[in-house]
Amino acid sequence: MKVALLSESPADEAALRVLVEAVLSETIVLVQPGLRARGWPNVAQVLPAILRHLHFNTDAAGLVVVVDADDSVVHTAEHEAPGYFHPQCRLCQLRGIFRKTQKRFPPLHGRDRVLRAVGLAVPAIEAWYLCGQDVQVTELAWAEGQALGLAPYTRRELKWRVYGTDRPNLGFEIQRAVESVRRHRGDLRRLETDFPQGFGRMAHDLRDWRQTAPRE
Amino acid sequence: MLRSSGPMPAVAFAGEVCQPPDVIASVQFKHFKALRATSLRMEPFNLLIGPNGSGKTSLVQAFLRLRTLAARAPANGQSAAPPPPAVETPAPRRPNGVPEIIFRFPPPFADIEVHLGGHSEHRLDLLQVRHPPGGDAEARWEQLRTKLSGIRAYLFDHYAMAGPVAPADSGELASNGRNIAAVIAAMQAQPTPAFARLQAEFCRALPEFTGVVPRPAEAGGLELALRLKDGGELVAAENISQGALYTLAMLTLSFSPRPPTVLCLEEADRGVHPRLLREVRDALYRLSYPTSYGETREAVQIVATTHSPFLLDLFREHPEEIVIASKQGRSATFARLSDRPDAAEILAEGSLGDLWFSGILGGVPEE
Ligand SMILES: [Zn+2]
Repeated sequence: MKVALLSESPADEAALRVLVEAVLSETIVLVQPGLRARGWPNVAQVLPAILRHLHFNTDAAGLVVVVDADDSVVHTAEHEAPGYFHPQCRLCQLRGIFRKTQKRFPPLHGRDRVLRAVGLAVPAIEAWYLCGQDVQVTELAWAEGQALGLAPYTRRELKWRVYGTDRPNLGFEIQRAVESVRRHRGDLRRLETDFPQGFGRMAHDLRDWRQTAPRE
Repeated sequence: MLRSSGPMPAVAFAGEVCQPPDVIASVQFKHFKALRATSLRMEPFNLLIGPNGSGKTSLVQAFLRLRTLAARAPANGQSAAPPPPAVETPAPRRPNGVPEIIFRFPPPFADIEVHLGGHSEHRLDLLQVRHPPGGDAEARWEQLRTKLSGIRAYLFDHYAMAGPVAPADSGELASNGRNIAAVIAAMQAQPTPAFARLQAEFCRALPEFTGVVPRPAEAGGLELALRLKDGGELVAAENISQGALYTLAMLTLSFSPRPPTVLCLEEADRGVHPRLLREVRDALYRLSYPTSYGETREAVQIVATTHSPFLLDLFREHPEEIVIASKQGRSATFARLSDRPDAAEILAEGSLGDLWFSGILGGVPEE
C-alpha cells in the first residue's frame, strides 16, 4: 500500500513507519519525496495543500498525520460523539481539516479520497517510546496532571528518559525511536491501552483502511 | 479539560545537569560600535538572531580581539599595550564615548576580569586584566589565557574549500575552511576513529554520498572529493554543493580532536537546505555538549548567528540559548529569549521562526 506520513522529524517518521506497518500487518511504500511539517500550528496550515497534492498528483492510498499534543487539550472519548468537535483538540482539528478539504474531491486514481489516520502524541512522541518501560508515562497520567494543573513530566524530561539527553543527535534519535517502537510490533495492545486516544484512535483509523483501501 | 494556552508547571525533574559556560561567562559593552550599553550572559551555546547592523558581528569581533590582545598581554596580567588611559565610565549615549568591553569568566576564573579599551571604537588595542594579587590568581590567568588563545571564528567559503591545499597545512581548519582537504586527510591518517565517525555522520546526513575522499591534486597538493552512492564515482569539491561542503566543514570541526575553545560561526544556516539544518545544530551541539554525544573532550563554547527561521525553530526547547539582537536607531542591545517574562507563553504559541518573523520577539529590521 502506498502511504504518506506527515510528522515533524525523520525520527518520528521512522517510528511511525514501523507502527503503521504493524497495525496494517503489511509493508508500506512511502510517497516520495517525504512530507515534513514544522510542528504545530504549521501542520494544520500545510495539511489542506498536502491533501490536495496527494489526491491529485499521487496514487497514495492514505495519509498518516501525527502531532505532539504539547500542552493542548487531550482528545477524549467525548470528542468521538457524532458531530462533536473540540476546537482546542489538535486531533479534532486535524480530522476537521481532512473532512473540509476532501469534501468536494472527485474520485481519482481508483479511490474516492486519500484515507485518513490521525494520531496525537501526548504530550510528545517520546511518551510512546517509553511505553512498557516507564509505567508512569501514560495518557491518563498526563490528563490527570492537566486536571490538577501540575504536569507529571515535561517534554524535555521525556527526551532525557529516552535519549539520555534532550539534545540527541538525529542519527541516535532515529535509532532509539525505531528500537522503542519495534518492541511493540508483535503486540500493540499495551500502546493502545496506555495511549488510547492519541495512539488508539490512529490505530483504529488504520484498521478501517483495510476495509476501504484498493488492493494492489 | 479547562486548559487554554501556556505550559503547565511541572513536577521537579532531577535528570538534567546544568552545564556552566566553559570559557566566557559574560560580556559587557560600552560604546563599542552599535553596542552602546548592553551586556550578555553567555551560555555554552548561543544562537544570535537579529537584523543586519544589530551587533552580531561586533560580538564576534570582540571575542577575536580578546584572543589577540590576551596573547600579547604580559604574564603578570597588566595592560597589554602602553599604559591605558584611565577607563572612565562615560556618560551614557554620548555619541563618541570611550569604548570598553568587559569580559567575565566562570569558575575557577570568576575573580578575573578583562577590560578591552581603545581611543576609538574602531580600534581596541588596550587590554587590562584585573584579578586579586598573588601567584595563585596569576597562575589562573595564565591558564585562562591559554583557553582564550583557542577562540576561533569561521565564515566558510566553498570556492576556497574546493581548491588544492598543501598536505602540511593540516594543523587546524582555517577560518574560511580552505584547508579542509588537508585537515580531513590528517584525521584519516590518525589511528583514532575520528575520520570514520565524521564520514559516517556526513553520509547519514547526505545519503547521496558514501565516502569522503581527500585525494592528490596538482603540484603535490590535496583536494577534496566525495564518493557518490549511485555508481561510486568521485565528485570533485568544485562540483559539490555549497551546503554539502559547509555541512562537511562543520562536522570536521565537530569531530576534530583539538577543536577551538570558543567557536564563532557566522551565518550557520548559509547554503544549507532547511531540512538539513538539524544536522548543523547537531554538529554544533556535539561541540558544546560533548557528554550528550558520548564525547570525552572539553566543551566548546559556541556563538552562532543566523537569519533562518527554520534553524531557530530547532531551539524551541532551549530558549536560554537564543539571543535576540535588536537595533533602535544607531544603538543595539542583546537580550535572551528566556529572560522575557512571557517566554513560556510565547513558546507555547507556535513555531519560533514564525514568531520571530512576526516581530513579537524583536530582532527584526526597522521599517
Ligand atoms: Zn478531540
